[in-house]
Amino acid sequence: MVGQTDEVPPPTTTPVDAALVACSGGDPATFGPVYDALAPVAYGTSLGVLRDPDHAAEVTQEVMVEVWQTAARFDPARASARTWVATLARRRAVDRVRSEQARRDRDQRDLDSSLGSAPRDVVAEDVERRLEGAAVRRCLDALTPTQREAVVEAYYGGRTYREVADRLGAALPTVKSRIRDGLGRLRDCLGVRRG
Amino acid sequence: MADEHGEAWELLPAYALDAVDDLERRTVERLLDADPDARRALDEYREVVASFAVEQAPPEHLRGAVLERVAATAQATSRVPGSAPARADGAASSRSRRRWGVLAVAAAAVVAVAVPTTVAVREHRENVQLEQQADRVAQMLADPGAQLVTAPVAGGGEATALVSGDDVLVSAAGMPAPGEGHDWQLWIVEGDAPEPAGLMPAASGGVSRALVEGGAGKVVAVTLEPEGGSPAPTTDPVVTIET
Repeated sequence: MVGQTDEVPPPTTTPVDAALVACSGGDPATFGPVYDALAPVAYGTSLGVLRDPDHAAEVTQEVMVEVWQTAARFDPARASARTWVATLARRRAVDRVRSEQARRDRDQRDLDSSLGSAPRDVVAEDVERRLEGAAVRRCLDALTPTQREAVVEAYYGGRTYREVADRLGAALPTVKSRIRDGLGRLRDCLGVRRG
Repeated sequence: MADEHGEAWELLPAYALDAVDDLERRTVERLLDADPDARRALDEYREVVASFAVEQAPPEHLRGAVLERVAATAQATSRVPGSAPARADGAASSRSRRRWGVLAVAAAAVVAVAVPTTVAVREHRENVQLEQQADRVAQMLADPGAQLVTAPVAGGGEATALVSGDDVLVSAAGMPAPGEGHDWQLWIVEGDAPEPAGLMPAASGGVSRALVEGGAGKVVAVTLEPEGGSPAPTTDPVVTIET
């Protein structure tokens, strides 16, 4: 399943899932293949959000150690190994974006706010480039422009929907429903059904 | 409760995108604990979010660094019954690691196995502290000159500060539990750098009380922090009280 880019793998157990389950037995020697299969997911996810290779490498390292440590919590009935690792990586990458943002805000509090806020603009062509090869790409066309904008801002900007609403000058409930409807359409387009 | 769960359902997609704030995150996690349908819906949204990921080869040196660390790191063996596979996993540790970045990863194994002991030690320490504080609290409660200040808590409940002499007794009623892996932490705010002022103990009878010594005349704030507290706040305050 690794390297497959056209569609989301069906929720059946893959060899990578099995390898991840097997490494929860505590033998570090079993982790090598798991690293090889899943580190590109962690790195790609982190890089998509952080855009900085050094930050992304640090996050990948943290995530892969976490994958090893918490392998017993992985449940192949609920998610593929790929999704599990992408989720962990995204959480950490977003955490890093937000703490960097908070640090910048603190450092720059007394400076000109136009310098201090250093907006993480999510530029359209940049998004296109980052989406190259993503399973979700063809499905983004199924979204309305406003749904797409809200989902993409939240995904690549690492923003809360509140911040997305601020940036887009839209009402909170509006943005909340754009994200909900947007992800709902993507789910249907990708054919994601569990349970 | 039904309303809260309704709101949590609404937030589920944003939660899957990590696009919620800390309070909303907890609202959603309460729903996930209670409702297997919500967990299933989350699993689907997570798969959608993961489909944005484009695999990319990490720098080669990472492999050796990770495997070396893995060889030196014990696994967390227990699975929490009914817990989501990728939900709160590592949430607390990633939050507490914010400030220290990769340096803290080396200590992660120690943290993982040491948690029960730490909790026991902390409870013991809190009890001793409470005994020592009991006299002072009784004095404060009996002080006819004591002042009361109340303020609403974001996310629910109300905090009351009883100001007597130099000290402040903070009572929080109806505040949500901090959630697994988190604590409510008190701060004395004066100028730009908040001083840590201890953790709010678990509520008994819906009320949690903490003595903030030397807090009188200053601003007392409460934030949500990784279990055990932080040296400096990592989230926005849910309540600030000017005493």
